[in-house]
Amino acid sequence: MPYDDLRSFLATLDEQGQLLRVTDEVLPEPDVAAAANAVSRMGAAAPALYFDNITGFTSARIAMNVHGSWANHALALGLPKETGTEEQIQEFIRRWDRFPVPPRWRENPPWAQNSLTGSAVDIFQVLPLVRLNDGDGGFYIDKAAVVSRDPDDPENGGKQNVGVYRIQVKGKARLALQPVPMHDIAQHLRKAEERGEDLPVAITIGNDPVISIVAATPMRYDENEYELAGALRGAPAPIATAPLTGLPVPWGSEVVIEGVIEGRKREIEGPFGEFTGHYSGGRRLPVIRVDRISYRTDPVFEHLYLGMPWTEIDYLIAANTCVPLYRQLKADFPEVRAVNAIYTHGLVVIVSTASRYRGFARSVGMRVLSTPHGLGYAATVIVVDADVDPFNLPQVMWALSTKMNPAHDLITISSMPVMELAPQVDTPGVVDKLVIDATSPTHPHGHGNHSSQVRDLPEATQWLARLQKLAAHR
Amino acid sequence: MQGTCPRCAHDIIEVLFTSPVVGVWEVRQCQQCLYCWRTSEPARRTERDAYPEGFRMTSDDITSAPEVPSVPAQRVIP
Repeated sequence: MPYDDLRSFLATLDEQGQLLRVTDEVLPEPDVAAAANAVSRMGAAAPALYFDNITGFTSARIAMNVHGSWANHALALGLPKETGTEEQIQEFIRRWDRFPVPPRWRENPPWAQNSLTGSAVDIFQVLPLVRLNDGDGGFYIDKAAVVSRDPDDPENGGKQNVGVYRIQVKGKARLALQPVPMHDIAQHLRKAEERGEDLPVAITIGNDPVISIVAATPMRYDENEYELAGALRGAPAPIATAPLTGLPVPWGSEVVIEGVIEGRKREIEGPFGEFTGHYSGGRRLPVIRVDRISYRTDPVFEHLYLGMPWTEIDYLIAANTCVPLYRQLKADFPEVRAVNAIYTHGLVVIVSTASRYRGFARSVGMRVLSTPHGLGYAATVIVVDADVDPFNLPQVMWALSTKMNPAHDLITISSMPVMELAPQVDTPGVVDKLVIDATSPTHPHGHGNHSSQVRDLPEATQWLARLQKLAAHR
Repeated sequence: MQGTCPRCAHDIIEVLFTSPVVGVWEVRQCQQCLYCWRTSEPARRTERDAYPEGFRMTSDDITSAPEVPSVPAQRVIP
């Protein structure tokens, strides 16, 4: 049964023992972020957090860590909470095969219950904003789905975008937004600015859990996020028309903020503790003027703590980063077996593949760098043999230990694009990239001695199942 | 209101919001570097003397900050 709003998902998390209600009075800072920081250290079954007793507020409700564990991620997809990481990714791949599933328009969205317009707009009156990390420049909204259209092709639903971008609150009706140049909204903004126009946006907060997943998925520019949401949910995504901009927004959101990115304007923003586990510097970023806020009565502010991995964001952008890369590679190289891009949004990508001939693994690795997501993220690519599980890091380390010879197997490509947040660069936005070929050499290049590899015994698979069953019934 | 920005030491500070429970805290903002803080936050975020050196910002830092993304040239729409 798919979730149409955040509240129904929170109810399921509660029923499944995956929602921890913090009922004692807590300070907005540092308590809310510190608790979310701490819960992310509880591992793969960490619960979500719900706060409703925050000092100085009268009706604040904050949900944190909603996607912040493999257990919660499984429940968001309607899977048992014990579902393993690889199994969730395989299921994600299977469901993507149903793409596209068109969304369904639905009347009377709950967020239409209340609104603030014009001079009455005050984001602080609607959201209990809290700071996350010490060095952040202020209060951020970092788990919203931002909706925008291609100004040159506004009726094209494929080119419409629903994405997660960091948003700094700079005033009652003033926000900053970070469009990394590789992101779809950056293309929308560039086109609007080339035309000398503002870019209308709708920012939706407190969404159903699949909307957050698709908004964080690096889809192709002309692929529609709501159509992926339908495929993942197994039912059309319910959407409604935002009253000011006319943009299609999730029906079940808690809050819908509408306005424009003011064209050709930049203003100081940040720093912000980012998904890389490092602060961005202060930069001059685009500015949003807010013209309308629609909100559900007593809205739940869904917020996301991020810091030194792993935190909630690492779960939110794990499966959905692996799957588009896998599909795009598989289309050209059917030999590809699996793609692990769950580390830091795919700044490292591990691919396992069979080989056709010498150099094949290198070619697969090079292709990773030219996928839409690889352009801005993949800085290091490790290619391993088909019998190495890229999600099993001891096996990957074994491949690096025994099959990779730096004399033959390293390819560095200088001055490649990377998003500006990558901390390891000399010049922001530019990096040298590395492909490591950790596969067994193929004829005619046969350096090393890989003819005598030990294989798992044929009976081992059955024994694994037998032992797992025994362990489960201990 | 008068005061000092913990981050850049600028002295023009505005109040953006006051706590719904009267008198508990205020959200303030520096009008130079746009840093925002709540008065109930720890001193390391609210007081100039306690604000970490590594997070401080000067007016030069603000004017020389890189522009992301860069503003493109305007084109003529047919």
